[in-house]
Order: sequence, then structure tokens, then C-alpha cells
Amino acid sequence: MAEVREKGYHHWEGQLRESGLVFWPITRTGIKLAFQRKRFKFLFALSFIPAITFAVGIYISERLEDFKFMAQGAERTLQVNPGFFKTYLSLDFIFFMILLLMALGGAGLIADDFRHKAIQLYFARPLTRLDYLLGKAGVVVFFVGLLTLVPALVLFMLKLLFSGSFKFFLDYPWLPLSIVLYSAFLMVFFTCYILLASSLSKNRNYVIALIFAVYYLSEIARGIFYVIFRSPYSTLLSIPGNLQRVAAAAFQVKPAQAVPWYLSFLVLSVFCLLTFLFLRRKLRGVEVIR
Amino acid sequence: MSIELQNIHYSYGKVKALNGVSLSVGEGATGLLGPNGAGKSTLIKIMLGFLTPAEGQGKILGYDVRTEQKSIRRLVGYMPEDECFIPGLDAVTFTALMGELSGLPRQEAMKRAHEVLFYVGLGESRYRLVDTYSSGMKQRLKLAQALVHDPKLLFLDEPTSGLDPTGRQEILELIGEVASSRNIRVLLSSHILADIELICDRVVIINKGEIAATGRIEDLKMVNYQLYELRLKGELNGFRRELQEAGCRVEETEDRLVKIYTPPGFDRRRIFVSAARNGVQVRQFVCSQTSLEDLFARVVGVD
Repeated sequence: MAEVREKGYHHWEGQLRESGLVFWPITRTGIKLAFQRKRFKFLFALSFIPAITFAVGIYISERLEDFKFMAQGAERTLQVNPGFFKTYLSLDFIFFMILLLMALGGAGLIADDFRHKAIQLYFARPLTRLDYLLGKAGVVVFFVGLLTLVPALVLFMLKLLFSGSFKFFLDYPWLPLSIVLYSAFLMVFFTCYILLASSLSKNRNYVIALIFAVYYLSEIARGIFYVIFRSPYSTLLSIPGNLQRVAAAAFQVKPAQAVPWYLSFLVLSVFCLLTFLFLRRKLRGVEVIR
Repeated sequence: MSIELQNIHYSYGKVKALNGVSLSVGEGATGLLGPNGAGKSTLIKIMLGFLTPAEGQGKILGYDVRTEQKSIRRLVGYMPEDECFIPGLDAVTFTALMGELSGLPRQEAMKRAHEVLFYVGLGESRYRLVDTYSSGMKQRLKLAQALVHDPKLLFLDEPTSGLDPTGRQEILELIGEVASSRNIRVLLSSHILADIELICDRVVIINKGEIAATGRIEDLKMVNYQLYELRLKGELNGFRRELQEAGCRVEETEDRLVKIYTPPGFDRRRIFVSAARNGVQVRQFVCSQTSLEDLFARVVGVD
């Protein structure tokens, strides 16, 4: 039977938690807010088209006899090997969809908190800066993971399922680990990239412009430097170029340019480290103007 | 003691915001009073751990302000001065999120969010997006998020700023009810004297980063001076000069009411002696009730 209470202020009879995943409510709220945005669900669904296409490709590759009439010469193009997974995880379309989804659902992660002065509300709670950052990072990790790690692992499972044996796994036992590591690398990089952009302005429209501009201008810069210096190292300026080379190394595929993969890895890692240090410095419960 | 601070110093670059602030705050509601820029908000931000004092030490609810900030924030509710919210959330989700971040279990946070929103008068509009709220509603929402985890100590920074008279009255009634509730101490920072006088029984007056006065409002009024209101006839210059030399402050209102603030230990018979000596006729003599405004003006040194 419901309790009848007097009107007025009532105390809460309970014990406040002192540990646990304190950042999780921030992540959950961020994911919920992203799905509330116009057209987000449609674009989110659209971003799974490559995964579905690749799944169909795996199915056809295992049933080539059945599809001979419509897939002549497919033996060469439909080879499911580490390169197949590398292709999926470094597709321009996947990177574009990550940027698009995060522009819609992630641009305001920190920018909105600055704009509406919500930072002080978070830090008036028993949260550290790291908790806050983890909460916001969780949103980007969730979406990037859903577009990279989850479909790639599902594709791997489908390959085993359709082939009906573990031969593929025995041929490439390191492949699941490569998928996990490279996807984790993408998650970390895009998290730093989106959170940095989101912390640089209070206006989410500027942040959206910044997310796309820096990514594609880095590619234009690579082109300009290449024309001037004719050096393959100009590719280190390009974000997608660096991601491609790390992917090639992770899946043991020959890269397009003869630039050591660890240089690309180093460039992106230094970027992530600097972003983390910048965010730790920038996020405070109160804005102190000296 | 819920708040104990000793010799707190804080500077924004070359500007000294707090200069050796020491204070003790116990039960009930305490007003933190001071003109704009006096250092009230800085003091609250130090107590919350947003800012680290350059010197000094302090404890809030028994926890150190320098090293145990998380424990302090778990037990403290904070209603900031600024209009702040998370866009895209409805009021109940927003309040529940704040409760959850304070350590409430998820279901309890949601239940409690409904309760406090009803309490602050937002029950009917709790499913509306906070972006669409009016200033008054946002002010109530800030109070709700500060109360959701049932804090032991409530910091309210200018809780009535930007409100119309009705909204201000309603917010003050809610704060008054919370303050009179057992187990919640309230520190109300404001430069609106009437708000403090209505809610608080104790006051800390801060001016230019230093504590100018602290204690029970009634005691401070008594200790610092007595106020007499007089209606006089005759030439007042000599009378006024004589009293000012004796340490009194003499003011004359537009309707020719003369207010005399006398220092502690001043014998009021000296007013009559001085009047007789200067040929001034005393037609009315009232020992007046001093207000917080009078006290504030006296302590801070403004008219």
C-alpha cells in the first residue's frame, strides 16, 4: 500500500554509493541524447550498409558454386583474408560515417556543457576530471565500437559459420586480436579527436565544422606537400592516411606508401596524448580568469 | 561545526579575492553577505574544492577542503548563481542524473527526482525539456538538483537572482522550509539583505575579501550600535556636529526624520543634553529596530 506523506521536504533514507562506475550515467545520458537528435537514427542505420555488404560478400565467397552465374571471376575479388577485414575497418565510408554521427551526436558533448555552464554541476558532485572525461569518452567509444569492433567480429564469426570449419581461424589465429586492437586504436583516436574539437568552442556548429575541416584539410595538406616535396613522408600529415597505414600493419597487409607504420602510429598517439593533457587542463569546475 | 575555515587566502592573479578568511558555521541557516566582488562566490568555490586556497586550511562537515573534496561534494548540495543545465534533457531525467552522479542508485535517483521536483513546484512540468523552462523554473530546477541527494549542507549562491517578486518569495519559502528541516544546514550567499534576513538567523558579512562581521543577526545588531529616530525642530548643524564628535552617525531622511546611530556604551541622555545645548526641540524620540541593512551599511562602510 502506498505511503501517505505530508507535503514538504522529506529526507532520503538510504546510503549513498561511494564507488562503482561513476562515469556511466554520463555515458548513458550522452548516448540517449545522441539518439534524440534529428536524423541520427537514420544515419546510424545507414552506417551499417558496409557491414551488411561485407557479410553478403562472405556468404557469396563460401557459395561461389551457387553464384557462378552472377559472380564470374569472384574468386579473385572475394577472397576473405586479413586484407578483407582491413578493407572493412579502414573504409572511407566508415570513417565518414563515424565523423558524421559524431558531428551530430558528439559535437556537443563538452561544447554544450561549456555553453550552458553545466560543468560546475558535474564537478559539484563527487566526480573527478577523469570521471567526467571517461563519461564523455564512453559515448564516442560506444558509437565507434558499434561501427568497427562489433561488425568486424561478427564478420569473423560469419566466416567461421558459413565455412563450417575452424580452418580460417587456424590459418589466421591472430586475426581476432588484430580486429580488437585496431578497433580499440580507432576508438581512442576518434574519442580524442571528437572531445578535443568539442572542447574548443561553446558553439556546436563550429565544432561540427571543425570535425570535418581538420580531417579533410589534413588530406589536402598531404596532397599539397607531396606536390611540393615529392616525399612519401608527406602522408604523415593526413589523418586518414595515418589510419590506413596503422590498419595495414595491424592486418599484415602491404601499405600503399613505403612509410614505416610506426611513424603513423606515433603521430596519432602523440596527438591523443596531447589531447588528453589539454582536456585535463581545460576542464575545471570553475572558469578562472587571471 | 559544519564549516570551519582558518586563514584562507586566494588570489586571481594580482587581485586578492580572499585575504585571511576564518569562519565557523554551525547548525541552521547562515547568510553569506557582501557587496558584489566581495569574495562570496570564491569562498563557496573553495569550500566545494573548485579552487585550491593559496594559504589556510578548512574542514567542511569534518572533511578537509584540500584533500577530501569528493567526500565533501557527496554530502553537499550546490545551487550555482549562473543559469546552468544540460540541454536536451527533461527535468526529471536531469535531476535523476545529478542524483545518480552524487551516489544515489539509479532507481532511487529517479524516484527522488520526482519527489524533489514536486517539492520545488515543478511536478506538472517535470517531463518538459529544461531548455524550454523560464528563468524562474530554471531557478527551481537548480534547487531541485541541489536537493536530490538529500545533502547535509546546502550552498545557495544568489538563489533569487533574476526572479520576479512572486518567484522570489516562493523560492525563499522553499529554502526557509529546507533550512528549518533537521539535518540540513544552509549557507545562503546573497547581496540581497532582505533574503538573508528572512531565512537566516546567523550572518557572515564579507567585504573586500575579509570577514567584516560574523554572528547571530540579532546579536550583531545589538552589539554594533543602537538606532534612534527623532523628529526635531530648530537649527541642527551644531547638534549634528556635537553628536558626530561623540562617535555617532547622524542621517536625515527626505521627510526630515533624523536617524542617530550610537556606538556601544553611548548614553542616550547625551542626545537630549546636546539638543538642549544647541537649542533644538525634540518632538519625537523613538528607540528604533535596526535592520540588517543598517548593520550592513555600518560594517561595510557604505550608505
